[in-house]
Amino acid sequence: MLRASILRARPALRPIAPAVRPQWRVAQRFYADEKKVDNTTIPNPAPSTSPPNPITPASDTIPASDLPKPPPAPETARPASTAQPSTTPPTGPGTASVAADPQLAKPKPKKRRFRRFLTYLVILSSLGYAGGVWYSLVSDNFHDFFTEYIPFGEDAVGYFEEREFRKRFPGRAGQPRLHPQITGENKVTIPGKSGLSSKIAQDGNTDLAIKGPHVSAVDAHSLQPAQETESSKVGSDKGVQEKRAEDGQKEKPTESTSHELLPKSTTNSELETGVPASTPAKPISQIDHLNVPEAGEPVVQDVVKIVNDIITAINADSSHGNKYDSALEKAKSDLGKVVSDINLLKESLQKSAEKEIKEAHSQFDSAAKELISRWEVQLHDQDAHWKEEYENERERLSKTYRDKLQAELDAAHQVYEQRLKNELLEQSIALQQKFASSVRDRVEAEREGRLGKLNELSSSVQELEKLTAEWNSVIERNLKTQHLVVAVEAVKSALENQLTPKPFITELAALKEIAADDPVVSAAIASINPVAYQRGIPNASQLIDRFRRVAQEVRKAALLPEDAGVASHIASLAMSKVLFKKSGLAIGQDVEAVLARTEVLLEEGDLDAAAREMNGLQGWAKVLSRDWLSEARRVLEVKQALDVIATEARLQSLLVD
Amino acid sequence: MADESPKPTTPVPRTSRPLSEALLNEKWDRCLSSFLIRSGLGLSFGVVFSVLLFKRRAWPAFIGLGFGAGRAWEECDNSFKRASASSTDGIRVIRP
Repeated sequence: MLRASILRARPALRPIAPAVRPQWRVAQRFYADEKKVDNTTIPNPAPSTSPPNPITPASDTIPASDLPKPPPAPETARPASTAQPSTTPPTGPGTASVAADPQLAKPKPKKRRFRRFLTYLVILSSLGYAGGVWYSLVSDNFHDFFTEYIPFGEDAVGYFEEREFRKRFPGRAGQPRLHPQITGENKVTIPGKSGLSSKIAQDGNTDLAIKGPHVSAVDAHSLQPAQETESSKVGSDKGVQEKRAEDGQKEKPTESTSHELLPKSTTNSELETGVPASTPAKPISQIDHLNVPEAGEPVVQDVVKIVNDIITAINADSSHGNKYDSALEKAKSDLGKVVSDINLLKESLQKSAEKEIKEAHSQFDSAAKELISRWEVQLHDQDAHWKEEYENERERLSKTYRDKLQAELDAAHQVYEQRLKNELLEQSIALQQKFASSVRDRVEAEREGRLGKLNELSSSVQELEKLTAEWNSVIERNLKTQHLVVAVEAVKSALENQLTPKPFITELAALKEIAADDPVVSAAIASINPVAYQRGIPNASQLIDRFRRVAQEVRKAALLPEDAGVASHIASLAMSKVLFKKSGLAIGQDVEAVLARTEVLLEEGDLDAAAREMNGLQGWAKVLSRDWLSEARRVLEVKQALDVIATEARLQSLLVD
Repeated sequence: MADESPKPTTPVPRTSRPLSEALLNEKWDRCLSSFLIRSGLGLSFGVVFSVLLFKRRAWPAFIGLGFGAGRAWEECDNSFKRASASSTDGIRVIRP
């Protein structure tokens, strides 16, 4: 993708930055080179002429460039070729040499037009070729097309690639990359038949379906022997048959019952085959030969019967004449002989058998005796063994039983002992308990006696305590009242002996604490305005002093009407200066009289009456004396409360007794 | 008893209110100061007006002085009148 985009952009870049171009191309070619070389090399090897080809463009370039230019040499070609990129000049001549050859033959007939046409053609073809080469360097697809279908295209493209490669890797400039194509070294040709080649299976014999060494190794070996055995079997069979026939003829009497009848039948069949040929000629029928006396054995009887059958057959067939007579006779005599042999053999066998039987009897007897003796010995052994085992077993059992018994006895003994111990323990515990209870009873009884006395003592002590407590309470109350009186006195003295109003909150708190649960005292204290004990109250002299100051001010406003303005105020102020002062207990309700009375009362110490007098003032006079009045009231409250507390304390002290 | 104990601890607000006997004096002080200031202001206004508008006549200055003194008087008078009655400052008045 990236490469394609770069390639697209390249033609535009070319005129602008020619110095950059080779780098771009090198980078591009570097990736595409390997593939292209492989592609190009594959078609090449087939023609052997390819090696010289690369040389021709290289060698041709110089003369070819010279060649085409002189003949047409139009001015138009020059600029076109020069306008072409730097890659074109070497290729253009190369193609021109190729293209010029066939077309140079034509220009002869027509002079001017044809020459022009030729020049154009050459120029166009050279341009096309150059363009093809350039585009093949750009596009991989076109490279493939160009190298494959355009003559000498591959060489040209290869040359340029080589040049670029050299430019890019100057170190490796010595050995050209595409040397097999360009330098024309001898090619290594690989013969067509070398290496692996596919071949069609030729004949069915080699087919795998057929048995061969590849199927199994056993068959290959067994095949020939099997054939041989087959052939040998046939031969041997024949031999056997002959042999058996001979045997059947010779050794009939020796045959036992275990022998198969087959060989005999074969012999008989052979006899048959042999006999029928001769018998039919015999005109006279033979009488049956019976070997009754000797034919005790069934085999012999069978043989006789067969022979008789043959004879009857021969007799039946009259065509053969008496050809087989002699043979039959001989056979009969042989048979007789065989029978006699058999009898003889039988006898000998019987004898030997009897002998053997006797021997066997004796052997058996001895063996039996031996067996019996051995048996007895064995029995004895076994008996002894069993007895021993029995003894052992009995001993073992008795031992185990004894052990068990012993163990049980031990257990029982232990249990019994344990029980005894337990009983003993129980008894001891009971005794101890009884002892303890008796001791406790004794102790209790003793204690009861003592405790009675102690209770009396304690009761008396308690009475005493009560008495003392009562006295204590009396004393306490006394003390309390004393304290109360003292506290009240302390408060009073504090109020009297002060230069400026001081808070007497601590004294009051002490008083309250002393009279902890006295409702009268607490009520009296509660009646005092908090401002009084927080800020303190003035004593009598201070109160009188302040009254005098207040009286001056009040006198100034003595003549003011109800709703006085500035003018009336000024008038009152002026007139009050010239007013006559009253003194003593003046009569009247005017301000001056009231002031005089109040002063007298204060001097007498009747604060209550003085306050009452001042309270009777009206208007501005009252407003001006308001503070003094409230102060006087507070002092009165405190005094009253203190009086109450003092009386209460006196009362308490009186109540004690 | 127990309910009495917190009572003493309750703080009594220390009033910055002047003593009742000094009430009138204070009013007088205030009246005098306001009289001076207002009459002075009126006089200065009058002087300015006389200089600017009335060709330096004397009467605008006197008129200004009179205005200032009158204002001060009125104010003082009002304060005295109101003070005699119990002050209603901060008391809500419910109209019928």
